[in-house]
Amino acid sequence: MKQATAIAAFLGVIALAALAAVTALGPEDGTASSHREAPLISEDPTADLTDVYAFRSPDKPNTVTILANVIPGEDPAAGPNYYTFSPNARYNLKIDTDGDVQPNLIYRFQFGRKTGQFFLGDTAQPYTVSRVQRGRTSVVAKGTTPPNNIGPRSTPNYRSLVTKSILSFDGGRSQAFAGQRDDPFFGDIGAIFDLVAIRKGTGNMGGGKDFFANYAVHGIALQVPISQLDDSDHTVGVWATTERPQMKIRSYRKNGIRRFQHEREWVQVSRLGNPLINEVIIPTKLKDRWNRLSPATDAQFVQYYRQPILAAVINQLYGLGVPEQNRDDLVAVLLTGVPGLNNTGSKLADMLRINLSIAPTTMPNRLGVFGGDLAGFPNGRRLGDDVVDIAERAVAGKLKGHPAGDLLGDGVDGNDVPNLNVFPYENIPPSGFDNAKGQQKP
Amino acid sequence: MIAATALLAGGTLRREDGASAAPSSRQLARLGFRELDAARRTGEPSHYTRSEQALRRALDANTNDAEALIGLASLANSRHHFREGLALARRVQGLSPDTALVYGVIGDSLIELGRYDEAFRNFERFGAVKPGLSAYSRISYARELLGYTDGAIAAMQLAVDSAGDGGEPSAWARTQLGKLYFSQGRPVEAARQYRLALASYPEYVHALDALAHVEAARGRFARAIHLERRAVQQTPLPQFVGALGDLYRSSGRPAAARAQYRLVGVLDRLFVANGVATDLELSLFNVDHGVRLRESLERARRAQIERPSIEADDVLAWALARNGQCGQGLRFSTRALRLGTRDAPKFFHRGMIERCLGHELEAKRWFRRALRTNPNFSLVWAPVAREALS
Repeated sequence: MKQATAIAAFLGVIALAALAAVTALGPEDGTASSHREAPLISEDPTADLTDVYAFRSPDKPNTVTILANVIPGEDPAAGPNYYTFSPNARYNLKIDTDGDVQPNLIYRFQFGRKTGQFFLGDTAQPYTVSRVQRGRTSVVAKGTTPPNNIGPRSTPNYRSLVTKSILSFDGGRSQAFAGQRDDPFFGDIGAIFDLVAIRKGTGNMGGGKDFFANYAVHGIALQVPISQLDDSDHTVGVWATTERPQMKIRSYRKNGIRRFQHEREWVQVSRLGNPLINEVIIPTKLKDRWNRLSPATDAQFVQYYRQPILAAVINQLYGLGVPEQNRDDLVAVLLTGVPGLNNTGSKLADMLRINLSIAPTTMPNRLGVFGGDLAGFPNGRRLGDDVVDIAERAVAGKLKGHPAGDLLGDGVDGNDVPNLNVFPYENIPPSGFDNAKGQQKP
Repeated sequence: MIAATALLAGGTLRREDGASAAPSSRQLARLGFRELDAARRTGEPSHYTRSEQALRRALDANTNDAEALIGLASLANSRHHFREGLALARRVQGLSPDTALVYGVIGDSLIELGRYDEAFRNFERFGAVKPGLSAYSRISYARELLGYTDGAIAAMQLAVDSAGDGGEPSAWARTQLGKLYFSQGRPVEAARQYRLALASYPEYVHALDALAHVEAARGRFARAIHLERRAVQQTPLPQFVGALGDLYRSSGRPAAARAQYRLVGVLDRLFVANGVATDLELSLFNVDHGVRLRESLERARRAQIERPSIEADDVLAWALARNGQCGQGLRFSTRALRLGTRDAPKFFHRGMIERCLGHELEAKRWFRRALRTNPNFSLVWAPVAREALS
């Protein structure tokens, strides 16, 4: 009976008509399997960078912390919580110390997976951190990620699991971590994707819905001494990339053995420097291209910064008359750095630029530089920087003195859980057990 | 400017009238994609119709929306209209040559049109610009077609690793990996992959169906029937229902088998009603089950002209043989095997053709090859091959 019920539901109305017609046709008529179809959605969550942060560590101001997150929207309560880093990807944190927009230093995280019968439920992954400098690669740290946060029975004392798994290297001067974390990003993405809707007032009055509350990500984290990066102008550029091996179809023979070429050539599949660039600035048809290029080639995208699509959309929807053309103010913030703050010269490149001579503030302003706090975005990026509001205001012409530049926002002003005041700063991931999603802000 | 004034006065920001009410082409395209993915995931064909509606509305809003066009190309492929899929995908390539997925979709169409060299070039381009589950799984399929079984397994393993654990894409890739193992006579490794898919994505219908085939191969029909029924209860795909019929038949329940076979015909009509061309699939099912042989030959001929892949060559060869036209069957069997694919049913069909032509030794050679590749290639036909050799 169960089968019949399911089939009836499946067939719906059309089929009931067909069923009547078909009984006359007699038995044994039907189809076998159709051609195979691979998943169409080409999103690649384990290599999909969601956010990059770079800031002078508030508790250790002589160090800088760099964080990068992948796997958007991990829902801890939707079935088994088995999200892991990809064992065949390379996760890179790249740092340009001298302003030539090429990386002088790369920290690379690579993950394995446990083997054996029960590896699936065991989300702790072995990993290595390597440093690439002057063409040489050396492993600086090896460790194991904590398991995902399943709940108090499966993974008790989660905080201490994390503390134990932080790696120390370079004689204790540097630290690294990788594992599941709370997604520190906050924003009313549901409303933003609904044509930049604003739920309440002009957006600077709260009332937004944080669509990232109670979701997790997988994060990599690095903390190194400022002295390792700083040069005379104090500003460094930071971005993250993920890479996967290229794969060809045909084999070749070597020493009589058939081999397949796929381990050597790495292809960059995602990159991230400043927040929201790929989402807001780069047009859909160029997103894949943008993702596989290095920041050094970003001059080709400058027209999309000078004439941002979002400015036109805001005007179309709200009639604010924000400037749509000649947005050299955005080019400066996002591609060269702000003169007198974190400018790296005339080369156009999307990097998160941070002037390491600016000390961390004890009372950070979520609007960063727009809020008079030079230690925040776009001078680096802290976890609490409200980049959605900053981006909307920047596009609305804050730097050109347009009045809308002080009023727009998404009504979500901070993360749903407090960030930590120690490395790795991102809070522990929500557990499936304690799950409660979609908080309404006051 | 009125809104701007209101804004300055501290009032509420409101949308200018009109323009904002309708969803954008991008939102409609995304909806179309989600429906398409739902069709693939659940097998319910009404998603195709809903996907088409959303994608067409997206094109109404923007005639050159590349995302909507890729969606339509992919939808055409899902409905087995591969020439249309190719034309649409080529149009997207012209509009948006940097979108990696377009090379996957072009390759999908070309594969089913039997244009393998071009297809493989497109898959390689996909794999060169955006390696990941979508590209690796297509490269795996290409290697499988070329008979590089180890390479196909390696590529699908990479697809599994790329998917990360949890979620349907990962379960899909694991199930495909398992099917590769099974097709090469490695049921233990196959079952392991199916179980992992089910552990990370419970009650995944494609893994339930695949695991039923392993249990049947081991002669455990009760377990196989239980698994296949769980698949059918969720998603009565024609191939699941047909497999359930075969399981009943093999376990001595012909009446129950016939009931399932009847349903297959009903479900087929539902696919046809939602725009899916099923000539090839229907023909193979009928020829395999010895019904409507002449009509099925005509269907197979039509399908082979519409989509001249090695699959269609093979079904036509088999249909010709079952209609006693074995000389012509040989011609198409040779075409079907031209890539070097190591596929037991194709070897078996060739053996039947050779036997029909009186080439006894050749026939036995092909039967042995079929059984060596996968001793459990078919509940119905593997025993026939074994008998021919004894």
